[in-house]
Amino acid sequence: MDGTAELFDRRIRARSLAYMFAAGAALGLITLAFPHDEMVQDAHLVGLAALAIAIAMVLYSQADRVSEWQLHAALAGGTLILTFANHYTGPTALYPIIYSWAALFAFYFFDLRVAFAQVAFIGVAYGVLLVIDNPPSPIVRWILAVGTPTVAGLLISNLLTRVKDEAGLTATRERALEDSEARTRLILDSAPDAFVAFDGDGVVIRWNDAATRMFGWPAHDAIGRRLRDLIFTDDEKPRHDARRKQLIESQETVMVMTVVTALKRRDGSTFPAEETISRVRVGDDVVISAFVRDTSERERRQQEREALLREQAARAEAERVAQMVRGMQQMVDATLRHQTLRDILPDLIKRVRDVLGAEAAAIFLVDEDSDKLVVAASSVGREGEDVAGAIRFGEAFAGRVAATRRPELLHDPAPEEFADRSLDDLGLRSLIGAPLEARGRLTGVIQAGSASRHLTDEHLGLLRFAADRVALAIDHVRLYEREHRIAETLQRSLLPERLPQLPGLGVAARYRPAAAEAEVGGDWYDVVPIPGGRVGLVMGDVAGKGLAAASMVGRLRSALRAYALEGHDPATAVEQLNRLVWTELEESQMATLIYVILDPAEGSVRWVNAGHMPPLLVLGDRMPHFLEGGRSVPLGVLPFPNFEENSAEVRAGATVVLYTDGLVERAGSHIDEGLAELAEVVRSAPPGPDELCDHLLAAMIPEAGAPDDVALLALQNTVIEERFTIELPTQPEALASMRGLLRRWLRHADGTDQEIAEITTACGEAATNAIEHAGAGGDTPFELDGRLDGREVVIRVRDFGAWRAPREGDQGRGLSLMRALMDTVEVTPSREGTTVLLRRTLNGNQGGEDSG
Amino acid sequence: MSELIQLGIEDRDGIVVAQVSGELDIAGAPAAGDQIASAVPTSARGLVVDFTELDFIDSSGVAMLFGLARRLSGRRQQLRVVAPDGGPVSRVLDIVEFERAAPVVGDLETALSELD
Repeated sequence: MDGTAELFDRRIRARSLAYMFAAGAALGLITLAFPHDEMVQDAHLVGLAALAIAIAMVLYSQADRVSEWQLHAALAGGTLILTFANHYTGPTALYPIIYSWAALFAFYFFDLRVAFAQVAFIGVAYGVLLVIDNPPSPIVRWILAVGTPTVAGLLISNLLTRVKDEAGLTATRERALEDSEARTRLILDSAPDAFVAFDGDGVVIRWNDAATRMFGWPAHDAIGRRLRDLIFTDDEKPRHDARRKQLIESQETVMVMTVVTALKRRDGSTFPAEETISRVRVGDDVVISAFVRDTSERERRQQEREALLREQAARAEAERVAQMVRGMQQMVDATLRHQTLRDILPDLIKRVRDVLGAEAAAIFLVDEDSDKLVVAASSVGREGEDVAGAIRFGEAFAGRVAATRRPELLHDPAPEEFADRSLDDLGLRSLIGAPLEARGRLTGVIQAGSASRHLTDEHLGLLRFAADRVALAIDHVRLYEREHRIAETLQRSLLPERLPQLPGLGVAARYRPAAAEAEVGGDWYDVVPIPGGRVGLVMGDVAGKGLAAASMVGRLRSALRAYALEGHDPATAVEQLNRLVWTELEESQMATLIYVILDPAEGSVRWVNAGHMPPLLVLGDRMPHFLEGGRSVPLGVLPFPNFEENSAEVRAGATVVLYTDGLVERAGSHIDEGLAELAEVVRSAPPGPDELCDHLLAAMIPEAGAPDDVALLALQNTVIEERFTIELPTQPEALASMRGLLRRWLRHADGTDQEIAEITTACGEAATNAIEHAGAGGDTPFELDGRLDGREVVIRVRDFGAWRAPREGDQGRGLSLMRALMDTVEVTPSREGTTVLLRRTLNGNQGGEDSG
Repeated sequence: MSELIQLGIEDRDGIVVAQVSGELDIAGAPAAGDQIASAVPTSARGLVVDFTELDFIDSSGVAMLFGLARRLSGRRQQLRVVAPDGGPVSRVLDIVEFERAAPVVGDLETALSELD
């Protein structure tokens, strides 16, 4: 009924009370046995003790049967006995303490109401006693003053503790209960499996979140409805009913069963599921709960495993023909290097035919502009002849494979199934085709046919196998072609678009990108005409590849051009380049470079070699030799290296060859061997820089391409004959090189500096006229023809443009210059063009200034 | 401008000095002339075209000089051309009688002192 009743049962309280009475009586009797005050009425006290012992005996013996109110009465009786005892004893210090014990006893063993009633009764009884025994002694007053607050404090603290305990106990219990419920709910809701509980009638009473997800019914819709209507298909309903009946009728307290079944979602779709059902009986109520697990994922995995096993079996089967296929794979690998589609497709076709033992095979490629198939290779040998024309997707056998992107096997094909009518003549009995797909895109269709037998699914499997590899090969080749094209374009844009016209000098250059590299290399070269007739040649190699290297090449090239045109000697120019690399470019960058200045008139070269391959000097069929010396560290290695120049004689007819290490480096052999080979090859080369370059490349570079980029530059100081004829472009830029040639020629003819300067100036005027006659955009070259007639220089400048009469001013000045500088000047205009004939006799002294 | 021509222009106390080196022909002369002309402000007292480092000149270079002379005389500014005596450049300037348009002197100091 209340907390105390639950803590101590009635029997314990009754016995405690009995001990209390007995102890009280014993105490009283003991005090009487000692000498004591006369006013104590011994007879009455002995009677009270006897009464107390009697009550104690009754309480003890009747402890099992005593009722609650009898206990209360006994408690009150005890207080009365105490009060009378107090009265008969007279005021002593003992009694208020004994009252306190009684009160504590009440608070300990009884509920608050009873305890307070007891305290009140004690108070009343004691009050009455005090009135009767008036006046109270000083001792009693002292006891009251000290004892009452003590007892009250004890009572209150006891009271507070109990109130707190009871409140705490209740809250803890409630919280524990709530927590437990919430936990259960949470556990159920977060369970991956659906949890459903229903009563004996099949009405849903619990429905967790997973159930909502699984079946599509929210909990508030599901709870209160019959489970069989919610999640069971019509087929499953009878089985569900039977199971429910079995569960309910079973006499076992707890029953668990697991069933595999198909269940229905709200949208009507079904899925395989596993239910674990348990039945709990609570009194007369039956609660059935079920955990439901969607097993479709598990079944799918199972199916995948089975498919995998089948595939493995098929693969084992495929390995039976792996030997043949491997040959094809090797060929595909070869295509990953540097072949074009045109090269590889016929090869692929042949392999496919061999592997399948088919009489005909063809590869169609998707034409991306028209979305049609075109024959790229055919075993009938008609590729390129456009036998079939373009095949639309969905049209004919190949078009159908392209449209569906599925392999297909067709027996006894009708003639219209052939894209290529000539295949009809072969009497093919079976056709198989598979799509060629790379990175998710259809690139074409591969098709094969047999006339001698019916092809089977096994052949189709092999064809698919082949199709994968063919598609891969095509994809790689296309990618390679594209990337290599980009790289080469970029590389070439960094090289001179065309070499400058250098009359009297022969110049040729070659650049070969590495065979297997798609990235731009750092090889570069340039040819720069320097004012005064000299020519700067540079060959360099920037470490690294790609855009960083390319941009550095660009900067080095433009910087060197600037330094060269300013007329700096090689050491100064290379020093400035080194400063550029050292200060401005990235730390890790390094470049080798050789810069050569050729003075054709003097017949000499000066050079600085910053860590590059030594140039090769070739003269006729004599053993060529390397221009050693003038060597220093590569650019970008030291801030202020010492660049020393070296020089050598380059006679007329000699050729200087510059190159990058790609030409001479061979895997596994020393660089000296490559250099020795180069010298040997050059020795047997035909004359002329172009021929020399071609010869070098042919002899030094393997057919499959060099492992590294190769750049090659050859410049020949050609022999100037006593008579020469050259054609020059009608461009202002040609004038400087023409002057360079003339100076060399005239020096060869032993002209003085002044004679050379004057004749060159006069020729320049004639050539300027020729260029102006050609007009804007004129591209017909003009002709320069020189000969020595004894000591007389005869130069003819012929153009093929429209004659323009010299205007007053500039052009007229040109003519008067020519006249002043030459012995004779003849201008012959004609419809085809204009011829200017200049003559002057060299005499080593004075020019013909007064003959104008 | 042609790659064979280098042009250095500086201002010396109101006198513009244009140093032309390399070879002056039809490929570079017109552009060089334009560049020099645009470097002479109306406030300048005069222009010295210094051909000390010039290796070659032809009628186009001469035409450039005549053009500059015309332009400067219109603005009442003085022109001096420096060409070392006996060199190919002074030889050409002699032939075309450039002296009629502006004085040709042998070195830069002379030219500057004449303009001061």
